[in-house]
Amino acid sequence: MSTTQNPPPPVEEPEEPTNRPPALHRATKWLERPYARRIILISGVYVIAILAVLWFAIWVLNSSGGPASGIMAEIATTMIWLTIVASPLMGFTVATLVYSLFGWGRVGGDEPPMQENPDIRTNATAVIAWITATSLLAGFLVVWGLVELAGITAGAYGTVPANKQQGFVAPINVNVTGQQWVWTFEYPDLGKIQSDVLVLPIDRPTYFNVTSNDVVHNFWAVELGIKIDANPGAITNTGVTPNKLGTFNIRCAELCGLHHAYMETKVQVVTQDEFDSWVREMGGGKTL
Amino acid sequence: MSTAAADPVLSPTTGEPVAVVARRNRLGIWLCIVSDAAGTVSLLIAYAYLWSLNVNGGWAPKKGAWAPDWLFWAIVLGMVVACALLWWGVKSVFAGHREGLVVAATLSSLLLLAMFILQIWQLATFPFDISESSYTSATFWLALSNAFHLSLGSLLVLAVVNRTRAGKIGVDNPFQSRLVAMWITWLCAAALLGAIFTTAMKDSPNTDPPAFQSFTQPHTS
Amino acid sequence: MSSATEVMRPEEVPQPKQYGKPGGFLRHTNIITGTVSGIVLAAIAYLVAGALRPPPSDENALALPVGLDPQFAAMYIGWTIGLLLGIGAFDGPLRWFLGHDLTHEDAEYMAGAGQGKWRYFKYTTDHKVVGKQYLVMSLVLLGVGGTLAMMIRTELGITWMEVFNPNVYNSIIGTHGMVMVIAMIIVVSGPIGNFIVPIMIGARDMAFPRLNALSFWLLFAAVPPLVSSLFLGGIRDGWSVYQPLNSQAPVGMLGYQTTIIVFAFSTGIASVNLITTIVTMRARGMTWSRVPIFVYGIIGSSVMGLIWFPMFQYSQILSWSDRVLQSNFFNPAQGGSVWLYENLFWLLGHPEVYVIVIPGTAALMELTTVFVRKPLFSYKLAIAGIFGVVGISGIVWAHHMYMTGFAPSANYPFMLSTELISIPFGFLVLVLLGTIWRGKVWTRLPMMAVYAVVWNKVVGGITGVWLSDVPVDQYMHGSMFVVAHFHFMLMGAALFSAIAAIAYWFPKMTGRYLNERIGSIGFWVAFAGFQLCFGSMFFAGLQGMPRRVLQFDNAFNLSNWLSTIGAYTIGIGTVIFLYAIITSWRGGQTAPMNPWAAQTLEWTVPNPVPLENFKVLPVVTTDPYNYGVPDPYASQVADVGDETSQKVSVS
Repeated sequence: MSTTQNPPPPVEEPEEPTNRPPALHRATKWLERPYARRIILISGVYVIAILAVLWFAIWVLNSSGGPASGIMAEIATTMIWLTIVASPLMGFTVATLVYSLFGWGRVGGDEPPMQENPDIRTNATAVIAWITATSLLAGFLVVWGLVELAGITAGAYGTVPANKQQGFVAPINVNVTGQQWVWTFEYPDLGKIQSDVLVLPIDRPTYFNVTSNDVVHNFWAVELGIKIDANPGAITNTGVTPNKLGTFNIRCAELCGLHHAYMETKVQVVTQDEFDSWVREMGGGKTL
Repeated sequence: MSTAAADPVLSPTTGEPVAVVARRNRLGIWLCIVSDAAGTVSLLIAYAYLWSLNVNGGWAPKKGAWAPDWLFWAIVLGMVVACALLWWGVKSVFAGHREGLVVAATLSSLLLLAMFILQIWQLATFPFDISESSYTSATFWLALSNAFHLSLGSLLVLAVVNRTRAGKIGVDNPFQSRLVAMWITWLCAAALLGAIFTTAMKDSPNTDPPAFQSFTQPHTS
Repeated sequence: MSSATEVMRPEEVPQPKQYGKPGGFLRHTNIITGTVSGIVLAAIAYLVAGALRPPPSDENALALPVGLDPQFAAMYIGWTIGLLLGIGAFDGPLRWFLGHDLTHEDAEYMAGAGQGKWRYFKYTTDHKVVGKQYLVMSLVLLGVGGTLAMMIRTELGITWMEVFNPNVYNSIIGTHGMVMVIAMIIVVSGPIGNFIVPIMIGARDMAFPRLNALSFWLLFAAVPPLVSSLFLGGIRDGWSVYQPLNSQAPVGMLGYQTTIIVFAFSTGIASVNLITTIVTMRARGMTWSRVPIFVYGIIGSSVMGLIWFPMFQYSQILSWSDRVLQSNFFNPAQGGSVWLYENLFWLLGHPEVYVIVIPGTAALMELTTVFVRKPLFSYKLAIAGIFGVVGISGIVWAHHMYMTGFAPSANYPFMLSTELISIPFGFLVLVLLGTIWRGKVWTRLPMMAVYAVVWNKVVGGITGVWLSDVPVDQYMHGSMFVVAHFHFMLMGAALFSAIAAIAYWFPKMTGRYLNERIGSIGFWVAFAGFQLCFGSMFFAGLQGMPRRVLQFDNAFNLSNWLSTIGAYTIGIGTVIFLYAIITSWRGGQTAPMNPWAAQTLEWTVPNPVPLENFKVLPVVTTDPYNYGVPDPYASQVADVGDETSQKVSVS
């Protein structure tokens, strides 16, 4: 019988005074090991590679003309920060793997090697450090996400009193109806004019009430960075303040049957004057 | 029981003491109950969710006829009595009286069978059609699931009667009766939950749902 | 185990009355009688339901295609019951009801004793037979799903025309999704869980051998309806078939629903069986701290399947009812809610990802110890990781529903739980890293797969971090980015770990080595193709390409071409790997009892594994990870915290 099955729980605090050196000293000692330095070096290289890919990803993200709203810019910022924070751990993981193939030696052959390897059952320092690092990372994600979500929600639903915002302008309401396989936009405050192309004035907050006549669709204004399901029998809300002139894409992002792929239209962000004349042209009543 | 401990009955197929097999089966029954409970809970979720949303004002039955409550509770009562009977029989077989189990399980299975018939009768005589509203659909399925439970339960208890009479369940090998009783206990709990939901949740709290295919709220100006 | 009584040889126990020859009714049943009876009963049910069909009414506002539904529903029910009847699944319950208990000879016959190859085509209770049946079934399903994937990529790669018409294309997407999800759920838990786990814990069979056979034959019953739906209008709505498209679809949707409902029974039964086996049938001395980590992975996966699968099942039962009985669970005109469907669906839909990933990851941890020849790093942390994931898995489902608007304020807690689940998942990564740490790696195919999988998990991890964030998901949801992300997790992490697991346990399951040279070539070709295929798919998503489309802006052409080239490369690699599996299985090099010099119990039984696994049940005195020597660095640098590592002498 072996008596060594259950290693005693890792001693986190020494019960009696020892000459255990402080953490910083131990970290320095650890860093003196050649493999530790090399792994950190490889991690660094990998992190740089991740950041390069990230830069490319952000470029691709905005390659179709965005960001056309504050929300979309915010999304890109979030992606950058989340990646920067997450990449050291990812880098360390990959670096350890890469190093293990070349640094600590490897064996081939068909016979099971009976070589000697360190008998490491656990290591309290490593475990605690890892849990701390991942928890800090997750904590950062949570805090960042919650704060940011609260921010864009306030912007999108108008929960921040609009008149306290700088440069107050009255919002525009748009009723969005999805049906197989077209979008219809109705301006309830502008004489209920209807259009199959969304036209929005620049720098005006716009609130969308979204519903569907048949199946679930998803209203996705790509470069504006907003998306919400159009559900039959329910009204969902979202909102955005476009801040870039131009023509952008609206797509359906929820499989809605036969011609789902073709259920797309455009959103034109125009100046206030152009918007007003468009409304008159469409036979709309009062303008705001 | 003392004789059983001295000379345990062994399972003919694996050679282990039947008590070991019984412990294994008990865990199996517990897991089956967990799984079936998850299914029942999803029916209850469906009921409560549709009740709370009242989509398109379509929760209440069109003709205004809700299912009478007393029938749900009558079925629950019958099941509880049947379950108590069965447990009494289980106690008596564990105490060394096989006849007690035969009598109790026979009565219990008859009662469960009666409840099954009552449940079918309830399904057939609901004052509404399943396709009338979402309430009717959800209620119909709660009753249907209970009917399924009852058919399974009464067959199991009938099997206990049969096996006890054949001597497969006996004083030195009484475990299977307890497993069946555990299962029947869960069925009572499931029926009780269904009765509570159908009794307590009738008129939807959402009196002002948006109308389908439009942006209007029907009950406000 | 704690019983003081010695277990007797079953033959010495007084036997009940033998009814007929051993095996009774099951002597006459096999896959042929099962299939024939399934088809006959399906035909009868179809005709009877047709004759009883009430005249179509036009009362219902959202006129659902009610006409043929009851008929086809009856057909599918007839098929399922007929198959089970014909294969002999009802024999056991009936015998139990009548009190005709099995004798030892009955049980031996049912386990397949002396039936040669035929036992693979019968209602055989031996866990090793069931394991191999599952292995073949999952390979077949992966083949079908993979072929459909090639068709999808062909359509998306040929950007200048429609190869398939939209209905066909949508059906291909839905069927690919569902086939692959089923295949991935069973690919580790089925073959390895059934074949290896009982031996690993020192048991003679599963706790409920007949339920084991039932779980496989239910799976067998579930597959034909899914395939048949391709010919009855198809599953046109993606694998998640959101309502009310589900109710609008042609009758083929009933095939999908039947598949899910039957498959959920199969999984539930398998879960009950696995958990019970592991909890109650471990060898004497195998305490919870000596159980191999893979077994914990199987428990975790089974617990999740057991609790969450019924919810998914009910989402389909209620959809079935909407179609066949005209109920209104999901019909918004009559008070039904599409959000109800989405919630029920994702209540399993997300835990299912962990049902798929956890056993694979646990298998990687198991085999890493063998190929690095070091103890598992921080066994307790690994257990904590598995059960941490299991615990949180039930409260993250709505991150699939951030953009549905069903409860905007619920996005906050669900974002919180989604990001927290990365902490226990990180434990598992640390365990892998710590086990590899400072070891000399034995570079065999299963170990190489560990590297591939961790790489894919890192990519899937970073992109998962983005998707877990609600505002970013507001852009990514429903785009190709999501598709690429979950393929990195479900294929890159889970399927490649399944390949590693199959390669590792192949010598025990078949008695032969997997041809490693050909296998490795196939593996790495597939890996390279995988990076290209799904790597470039991320960029299509970032550009704004929605998923499940067959035509798209020219802007997305380049990334789709690259994706398609990658997909064909995966296809080539997979074919090579399958060739390696098939040729090795048929005529590969014979493997010794313990080719990897591993320490878990399954390697202590001879090849082929005897019917009862162990002549004498083993007694376990130690955990299975006594590799390695005391740490050579420990004495030199004792001040860096290594003093907590335990010095172990192998007894």
